[in-house]
Amino acid sequence: MGARVAMVNARGVDLSVTIGALKLDYPTLMGSGCYGSGEEFAPFVDLARIGGVVLKSVTRLPRLGNPTPRLVHTPAGMLNAIGLQNPGIEWYLDHEVEKFANRPCAIIGSVAGFSVDDYAYVGERLAARAEIDALEVNISCPNVASEGETFACDPHLTAEVVRAVRGVTDKTLIVKLSPNVTDIASIAREAEAAGADALAVINTVRGMAIDVERWQPRLGNVTGGLSGAAIRPIAVLAVYEVARAVKIPIVGQGGIETASDALEFLLAGASAISIGTANFTDPQIPVGIAAELMLYLQQRNLRSLAQIVGKANVGFANAYQYEGDEG
Amino acid sequence: MATAASSAAIHHAFILDRQELAPGVVLLGFNAPELVRMTVPGQFVMVVPPSGESAAVALGIYEASEGRASVLFFVVGKRTAKLAALREGDVISLAGPLGNGFTLGAARDVAIVAGGVGIASVLLAAQALVRAGARVRLYYGARSSVSLVERERFARHGCEVHVATDDGSVGHSGYVTELFGRTDEPPDLILACGPTPMLRAVARIAEEMNVPAQLSLEETFACGVGGCWGCVVPLAGTSAQAPSFPPPERDGSDVVYARVCKEGPVFWAHELRW
Repeated sequence: MGARVAMVNARGVDLSVTIGALKLDYPTLMGSGCYGSGEEFAPFVDLARIGGVVLKSVTRLPRLGNPTPRLVHTPAGMLNAIGLQNPGIEWYLDHEVEKFANRPCAIIGSVAGFSVDDYAYVGERLAARAEIDALEVNISCPNVASEGETFACDPHLTAEVVRAVRGVTDKTLIVKLSPNVTDIASIAREAEAAGADALAVINTVRGMAIDVERWQPRLGNVTGGLSGAAIRPIAVLAVYEVARAVKIPIVGQGGIETASDALEFLLAGASAISIGTANFTDPQIPVGIAAELMLYLQQRNLRSLAQIVGKANVGFANAYQYEGDEG
Repeated sequence: MATAASSAAIHHAFILDRQELAPGVVLLGFNAPELVRMTVPGQFVMVVPPSGESAAVALGIYEASEGRASVLFFVVGKRTAKLAALREGDVISLAGPLGNGFTLGAARDVAIVAGGVGIASVLLAAQALVRAGARVRLYYGARSSVSLVERERFARHGCEVHVATDDGSVGHSGYVTELFGRTDEPPDLILACGPTPMLRAVARIAEEMNVPAQLSLEETFACGVGGCWGCVVPLAGTSAQAPSFPPPERDGSDVVYARVCKEGPVFWAHELRW
């Protein structure tokens, strides 16, 4: 990697985060599928001032993706149904991966699949490349008919996939969990036991929008994945529940737009955060968030983000005598 | 194919002027000298609404000269309503210029077909063509004369202006493509921007006339820079504009998806799959 801009100030406040073997100078990852290969955003943001880019998920074979329309803007968020469009691992290795050689931030490959074998194959091929610093295992795409989320919704399948990818690489594995489950903590425990180094919490929430003039769904795929501020409380709760269930680090994600949003995730138990939809409004948001996190730590005489991870005082709510009930 | 942006950046611009050209049709001018220097006709910007919206608004660059650029848009939802509420002196952030614009080449007789807000993406092309000495005919359609904004300006710039309205309040009564399709003087090049059914009709007329056409497409954007693959349109797999991905082998199809924001928004009509 090229020269990095370490964000350590004179008071020794350090924003760096370690996830398994992966060291991030900043706690900010750019969410998979939202950031292309990073080069698309390079004219608008200094990539040396973000933690890393999680690349778009790649599968064993090329995928055309879902029919259009694939996007709908919704209140405080958006629905997408891209459907894992990608050129397949062979083409990806031959044409895409070399672009990541000199990025001034971490580069995290994202693996998707339709069988345990798929995950192991793509994971091994991708992780073997020096340009890739770590892997995200995407077991939770909501936009692939009947198959995509199956893994994330079944603790045993989750464990099988994670074990398979764990078996083919020593690089850091971040397993991306779905919110569309009854008990996310049980899935998280299985992923941890199977060898995950970290968990990304959460992927998008399933949703739907209907055109009332035409009486038809507004997405070509009928359903989609909801992202943006609308899902933030769902994501914070998921991080909180997962943090109580596992010991490995959590990358919190889901509607983070400001440093205050990021702090909610950190206090709920995330060690790092990932930003997706907010980059579409302003690609410089991650840089601003990092700067404000540093200020937040400075003002409290704290030296690292680790000192606030999971520190939300949930006992407070029970101890406090409410004078009114907001329902 | 089309002219690529040399580079793009985020700009923080002051609103210089704001005009309501018709009810719900706003022209916002702002100072953005770097943007103006880089813009080619047919490109767009992603404008960040003033507050609380989770997505930027993609708008064609309407004017770009002497440090001042403008966008012309119809108020259709909350985000455009917030932009419409901006006043002189307010600051906006925008990213651009983005996408690939029109390829004007050495065309001498050009027909521009614009429907509704599509007019917002063709003024720069018309100006450049007139400056280069080309004959420019504008075929401009709207629902009614009220929303047929800026037609006098195109005339002042030296375009021949032909209009159509759905309600017949001015010009041809009916679709602008009916008006254009009747011409017995085929141009050497057709440029078009407007609703998808209009573009489809333009593509068919262009094929009948055997005249090359470039269509500026509108799709819902998320990122606007090619990062999310949300705004794709199907192209023929052999298209020069298709991204260099291999077409997936599915049902023997050679369709590939291209990103409207990155490979477009301007595409050659013959490369699109309708």
